[in-house]
Amino acid sequence: MAEIPFPLPDLGEGLIEATVLEWLVAEGEQVERNQPLVEVETTKSALELPSPQSGKVLKVHGAPGDVIKVGEPLIVFEVPDDTAGIVGTVPSDEAPKRRRVRLNANLDED
Amino acid sequence: MHETLTAPKAEPETRMAQVPAQLELSLQGALNLALDEILAEDPKALVLGEDVGTLGGVFRVTSGLAAKHGAERVFDTPLAESGILGMSIGLAMAGFHPIPEVQFDGFAYPAVNQIVCQLGRMNYRSRGTLPMPVTLRVPSFGGIRAPEHHGESLEALFAHVPGLKVVSPSDPQQGYSLLKAATRMPDPVIFMEPKSRYWQKGQVVLEGSGAAGTARGGAANDGGGSPSSSDLTGARIARAGRHLTLVAWGAMVARCLQVAELAAEDGIDVEVLDLRWLKPIDAEALATSVGKTRRAVVVHEAPRTSGLGGEVAQIITERCFATLKAPVERVTGFDVPYPSGDLEDEYIPNIDRILFGIQRVLEYKRG
Repeated sequence: MAEIPFPLPDLGEGLIEATVLEWLVAEGEQVERNQPLVEVETTKSALELPSPQSGKVLKVHGAPGDVIKVGEPLIVFEVPDDTAGIVGTVPSDEAPKRRRVRLNANLDED
Repeated sequence: MHETLTAPKAEPETRMAQVPAQLELSLQGALNLALDEILAEDPKALVLGEDVGTLGGVFRVTSGLAAKHGAERVFDTPLAESGILGMSIGLAMAGFHPIPEVQFDGFAYPAVNQIVCQLGRMNYRSRGTLPMPVTLRVPSFGGIRAPEHHGESLEALFAHVPGLKVVSPSDPQQGYSLLKAATRMPDPVIFMEPKSRYWQKGQVVLEGSGAAGTARGGAANDGGGSPSSSDLTGARIARAGRHLTLVAWGAMVARCLQVAELAAEDGIDVEVLDLRWLKPIDAEALATSVGKTRRAVVVHEAPRTSGLGGEVAQIITERCFATLKAPVERVTGFDVPYPSGDLEDEYIPNIDRILFGIQRVLEYKRG
């Protein structure tokens, strides 16, 4: 198992912090990539942060009302070692042996 | 796989009884174990690259190594591939044995100047006083539906550079054994890991496990012998056959083994030669195999023009011209940039394209 932290990103135009409004996932929950994780409020707007990856939520940082600075830990994912890397997907185990070509040869002369 | 790997029943439980003779590992697990053992055995070995330390690598190949061997020996680098290679070259000059990683093959390009002009030439330039015992790990080839720059097939580019060796493992056993062999060489080795095979599991016979005599050997001793260093310098027969030789490396070996099973349904007995080393190429193994089967098809993901398939075909032609039944056929990618995502299936040689290649060779008529 690998622990992958996700720090609060810069939510745009040099914002330095955000206030947690509501967690939309709980520790122990399995989340998918792009699933909304948390609603936060900046000096500009309230917005939902989508998950950058799939994985199990190991820890969330900050209760509603807490201020988190950009770059500080927001959430930690736990990911099995045999899942995909940051890029790409795990290919299916073995491609089904689909075939449209039959071989036809006279090997008598061999 | 043809050979059955089993632990030797008769082995007395005297030496290293706590170490299993073999483990079932994925390719990423086998590479991780090899790196763990290399770091333990060789105090000069260092692992460096983007995210190889704290994170453990995007493909988990270096997972746990920094915690076990220390952040001074397994460390993260800035996102600058020319720096990763430049640092490795300097470390090698200072007596270390660096094992750098370039995170994806598409990002090897920024390091090409260091690889070609320094890494490959330093031994030559210094009249042998500055050897470059550097093993560059490159997650390579396609098959994981990644975006552009995250899938390439660069073996011909590297193989063309004097001073470099190039190798690609096809399964967990090859990954474990070839990585250990590569890191023991005095020369720079480009180690191309087929990323689409990272998660495939297989039995791995460990070094020093007392399992000598059970592991897959080289082409010269198919079906027997431990992967001793002399067996690890050439090709290996992944499947023995009589009628035609499929030559492949990396991820294409598994696909060719599937094709061989399908060909057997039609009465065609296909031999699959896992080339393993792409520089230098094991010409003797090619000659032995094709000398027997008299037909050959070479399969690779890279574009056809100036691909390594042309080199393989020429070696076979030089050695086997008099007995060849047909010109050597190539089944390859196309002369386009390596495509991303969903277009991969149209680009990478698939089962039907390889079968067509075999059929073209089978029905070739002279004159």
